[in-house]
Amino acid sequence: MSKKRGLKFYLSIYRKILIQDLKSKMSYRADFVISTIGMIMTNLAGFITFIVLFHNFPTINGWDLNHMLFLYGFSLLALTPVQCFFDNNWNLRTHVYSGDFIKYCFRPVNIFFYFMSEVFDVKGLGQLAFGLGTLIYAWAKIGIPVTFLTVGQALVFTFTASLFMIAIMNVAAATCFWIQGSGYVMVIMFRFKDFARYPASIFNSVFKAIFTFIIPIAFVAYYPSLVFLQPDNVPVLTWLSPLIGLVFFFLSYAFWMLGVRKYDFTGS
Amino acid sequence: MTIRKYIALVRAGIMESLHFRLGTAVTLFANLIYLVLVYFLWKAVYASSGTDVVNGMTFTDTMIYLILATALFNFLEMFVVWDMSRSIQSGAIILDLLKPMKYRSYTFWKYSGSHVSQFILAFVPTFIVVMIVTKGAIPIGLNLVKFMVSVVLAQIVNFGIEMLVATLCLYTESTWGINIVKETIVLVLSGASIPLAFFPESIRNIISWMPFRAIYDIPLQVLLNKGGSDTLAGLAKLWGMQLGWCVILTVAGVIFWKISVRKITVNGG
Amino acid sequence: MAQEAIVMENLCKDFKVLNRREGLKGSIQDLFSRDYKTVSAVKDVSVTINKGEIVGYLGPNGAGKSTTIKMMTGVLEPTSGKILVNGLVPYKDRTRNCENIGVVFGQRSQLWWALPLVESFKLLRDLYMVPQKEYDEMIELYRSLVDIEPILHKTVRQMSLGQRTLSDILAAFLHNPGIVFLDEPTIGLDVSMKSKIRDLILGLNKEKNTTVILTTHDMGDVDALCKRIVIIDKGSKIYDNDIEHLKTYFGSYRTLRVRLDNNDTWEETLIDEKTTDVMTVITEYQKSHKVKDIQLQEISTEEVIKKLYEGGSV
Repeated sequence: MSKKRGLKFYLSIYRKILIQDLKSKMSYRADFVISTIGMIMTNLAGFITFIVLFHNFPTINGWDLNHMLFLYGFSLLALTPVQCFFDNNWNLRTHVYSGDFIKYCFRPVNIFFYFMSEVFDVKGLGQLAFGLGTLIYAWAKIGIPVTFLTVGQALVFTFTASLFMIAIMNVAAATCFWIQGSGYVMVIMFRFKDFARYPASIFNSVFKAIFTFIIPIAFVAYYPSLVFLQPDNVPVLTWLSPLIGLVFFFLSYAFWMLGVRKYDFTGS
Repeated sequence: MTIRKYIALVRAGIMESLHFRLGTAVTLFANLIYLVLVYFLWKAVYASSGTDVVNGMTFTDTMIYLILATALFNFLEMFVVWDMSRSIQSGAIILDLLKPMKYRSYTFWKYSGSHVSQFILAFVPTFIVVMIVTKGAIPIGLNLVKFMVSVVLAQIVNFGIEMLVATLCLYTESTWGINIVKETIVLVLSGASIPLAFFPESIRNIISWMPFRAIYDIPLQVLLNKGGSDTLAGLAKLWGMQLGWCVILTVAGVIFWKISVRKITVNGG
Repeated sequence: MAQEAIVMENLCKDFKVLNRREGLKGSIQDLFSRDYKTVSAVKDVSVTINKGEIVGYLGPNGAGKSTTIKMMTGVLEPTSGKILVNGLVPYKDRTRNCENIGVVFGQRSQLWWALPLVESFKLLRDLYMVPQKEYDEMIELYRSLVDIEPILHKTVRQMSLGQRTLSDILAAFLHNPGIVFLDEPTIGLDVSMKSKIRDLILGLNKEKNTTVILTTHDMGDVDALCKRIVIIDKGSKIYDNDIEHLKTYFGSYRTLRVRLDNNDTWEETLIDEKTTDVMTVITEYQKSHKVKDIQLQEISTEEVIKKLYEGGSV
């Protein structure tokens, strides 16, 4: 009497959990206000850092302000999904150490899905708006044509670019299955995302390789943006980035699930 | 310092961290990579600017400032906000509410203990490495003693901000939200992500009236003999600023905590 | 369909525990090659549980109860031996196994913290793909067994511990699973809540013929619910039979309760009549005290279990 649970089932469950979650969040107005203020402040602070840097240095590695703003906006968009849908990674450590994690193993659904579905972070939507605004501004200033092709490319590439940060955070969070005191790994990895907004061409070849293939922050904004910023000279890696994104995401998921299997649940 | 002493120190540090937890080793490694990122970014920035000195800071100055700021950040890092929110959600806060002052001082001393070991384990080795690599760019003398005093004050200011923000947890459950706001604001306005010298004059003036620069900027200025800290009057001004914020934040924190607790207990939350 | 809900044969589970070495050299060695020692949490356990039974699964702390439950729920993979739950191998088929089991873990709520109970129920209905008709019938059954109105629209966060436990038990039965695992369901609850929860479990077991595996330290739960108990200690099964059967092993034991001098409290002594005469003990008391009152009782389940844990073999 086994029941089949396909993509449709998971989407519908996620939607239902999300609606309930939003409803309950609405009832905590103070919480909502603080989250919103927080979101605005965070983005503003990032923006200020950026502008202050350009106040002193008009170009970085040949990239002018508008190109940098494009990268900045693109990175914010690509970082929205990890913020909105995968925020529960931050709680993984606590659940694992306290032994509470076991409760996610008793449902007839994928553990990774069930765990992530528990939290939807509304603040990420503010980031989405902020990133979209910046990107559209830079897009217009640089004079990138608006066609079906470019808009379509933008959609595909932001979606696949988002997979890289999700993968990084999955791996960072899953380290808690093996090592104690792994909280700082997540904090550091999350800070890396701030560097996704700079061109990877600033690195020497060794570190460029590291930030491309090991901690793939160069894929979050730099490589996909080249489609729009250097349309005449798009590297192969850019075209491959959607595929690489899927591979990274899958590997991080496998690592996360390996952690679940390996973890011996002695916490209780 | 002889090389043997240096090795012994490193040996002890490595042993400690390996023994205590693999996590520390991973942290060290992650920090190193982070510093590499910072290095390349600023190298590119200075290479594009065409001059060696920007706003009175050379590339070496900027790197020393940022690396030590990161090292300071690591050792001053506190999780008071998280602890508090966890204790609220588990209900353990009820016990703490009965004795608010005890909670405050207990938390402070608990962190102070770990700060001392973190200072020796994380900051001192970083400092020594930076000192050796930059060959004399960091002045060695009385400034080290003054720096220590400044760091202690910075720790108190940091704790004051932490407690103030942690009290907000009594009102909201968006712990991550308020924590990230605190962290971003502190990082930007304290000079930990960009040296305050790079900010435009007008903004810099406003920032200098905020408590955040007392955490990273002032200790680092003192360490590098900058910002007037080499004169007695200048030093007095910087320390006075830190001390002032210690008092203001502590008083504000205690009052805010008391008001909040009363409000919460009345509402029966 | 077979009559067995759970079959375990020669089930074993070992854990590897890291041996830390000394000194800097040792620390570095630990990083690369790790020297483990093996600890057996469950040793050669064979138990068969039939459909509709309520079985008390007992043992002192650290005896391996949780480990066994985790293997039955598919969370842990056994080191060796055979395990079948509803005819499935749990760790190989975790998702399908989960469809047909319900789990309650003492004080850890598995419900959505911020949602009203009824919304949690609806989400569970969808997660387990329970048809609306069966769902409605189940809610009706709940209404007939226990007063759920006061908690239905409360969030778990606002509930008392007793209400939370009640909710978790209801949630575990919601998809009408073949087996429900209850780990310390009455821990920390007051007397009236305890009896409410026991009645509920009995009622659901009777109505739905659900197999219930109960681990507890509260012998009141055992007396009220279980006909059969399985006891493990240090990973090995030491008893598997009726409670009554167990008591006959200790049939020669009596609890002597005496009140001495002007004290209001009873002093209890467990006496094995095969070796000691009750009268001798009373005489012994009388030498130094004035005996005001005397009671002689049969051994309670609590004491039987205590004797077993302390090393009395059956």
